[in-house]
Amino acid sequence: MSAGPFDTDRDFRAAEYVIGTLPADERAVVEAEIRTDPVTEAYVRDWERRLAPLSLAVPEENPPPRLWGAIVQALPGPSAIARPANDNRIAALSGQVRRWRLASAGAGLIAAGLALFVAVGPRMPAPDSAGRYVAVVTSAGDLPALIVSVDTSTGTAQVRPVAAKAPDGRSLELWFIGADKTPKTLGLVGTGASRIALPAGAGSDGLIAVSVEPQGGSPTGQPTGQVVYTGKLIRD
Amino acid sequence: MRDDPTLQRLLREIAAGDQSALRALYDLTAPKLFGIVLRIQRDRSLAEDVLQDVYLKVWQAAGSYAPENGRPLPWLCAIARNRAIDGVRRKSEVQGPVHEDGEDWLERLADPRSSEGALLDRDALRVCLGRLDATQAECVMLAYCEGWSREELARRHDKPVNTIKTWLHRTLASLKGCLEGAR
Repeated sequence: MSAGPFDTDRDFRAAEYVIGTLPADERAVVEAEIRTDPVTEAYVRDWERRLAPLSLAVPEENPPPRLWGAIVQALPGPSAIARPANDNRIAALSGQVRRWRLASAGAGLIAAGLALFVAVGPRMPAPDSAGRYVAVVTSAGDLPALIVSVDTSTGTAQVRPVAAKAPDGRSLELWFIGADKTPKTLGLVGTGASRIALPAGAGSDGLIAVSVEPQGGSPTGQPTGQVVYTGKLIRD
Repeated sequence: MRDDPTLQRLLREIAAGDQSALRALYDLTAPKLFGIVLRIQRDRSLAEDVLQDVYLKVWQAAGSYAPENGRPLPWLCAIARNRAIDGVRRKSEVQGPVHEDGEDWLERLADPRSSEGALLDRDALRVCLGRLDATQAECVMLAYCEGWSREELARRHDKPVNTIKTWLHRTLASLKGCLEGAR
């Protein structure tokens, strides 16, 4: 960031976002960009870091004792907070994904072995984050094989292969397993990024799986080969 | 103690669905976050609603905290500030009247009791804010700490809103230049 005090208008907008003077509509645009654009995210994070000491200097105030009770009342019920056993691993991977996003956008380079994500079609900034989820689909190894961004509000998913390789003469097929536990095909995993439509009724409590199938995909409409990767949706 | 390892451990436990960890985090951080929210929202009863929302958000977002995103207390403060500002900018929560007690924010940055700020580049921020035009630096601090809008700042200084925007632009640019130069 050496091009001058403000690198771009986006940097200034990020600064005004952080100090809080952006009008509501522009604020919503920046919020959407933070989720989809690593450069904006980095600008905002830098401004938050620069000004954070001021925030820590604000005098403390004790909230009324009853407030904790209100928070407990409002927490989602036990069913909504049930977590898969591997949640921590996924959270950790989610951190890796964020680092990759930053690294790839910041440097304009991409490490060998990582497929460059190219958005297919217009990138829709979601005004509401409620419907956005990410699954980092892994095998036993450390590297995620796929990054699947799911937007349940628009019913679409973006698939980014990172290190997924199909065995010779075979195809990798992507599945969505929702509440009814029946895998629904999302299509074949290509070599590039793609945007796909989710099956009707796909919600946030889904699992993404990848199976090895005969070339061209499963002949039966259900996974027939070994499931090599699975990942759970987490909120983006 | 509100040290980084403690807060990071609590956030991990919250991410795993541990309600007692949320309680422990609340006990350690609620006065700080309520102070931030109350300064921006200004109406005590609405500020309580906002704070409730902040901890629900922490409950949901704890798993997305990563140490490389910054230290945990500033991360929590940013959630609180963002939530408070969202409400007043969207006017979904009507902001209370301006505090007239005239807090000197630059002075507070020098407060030795605020040891947490000292660990972040507090002194650099204080020096750099002190070098700026005092009126314009005050606009940035009133916006950041007390949630003043461009329009409120314009009325305070009897200037058009566009002038305030220009001031903010110029001030933030100088501030960035000064802070980046100091690093």
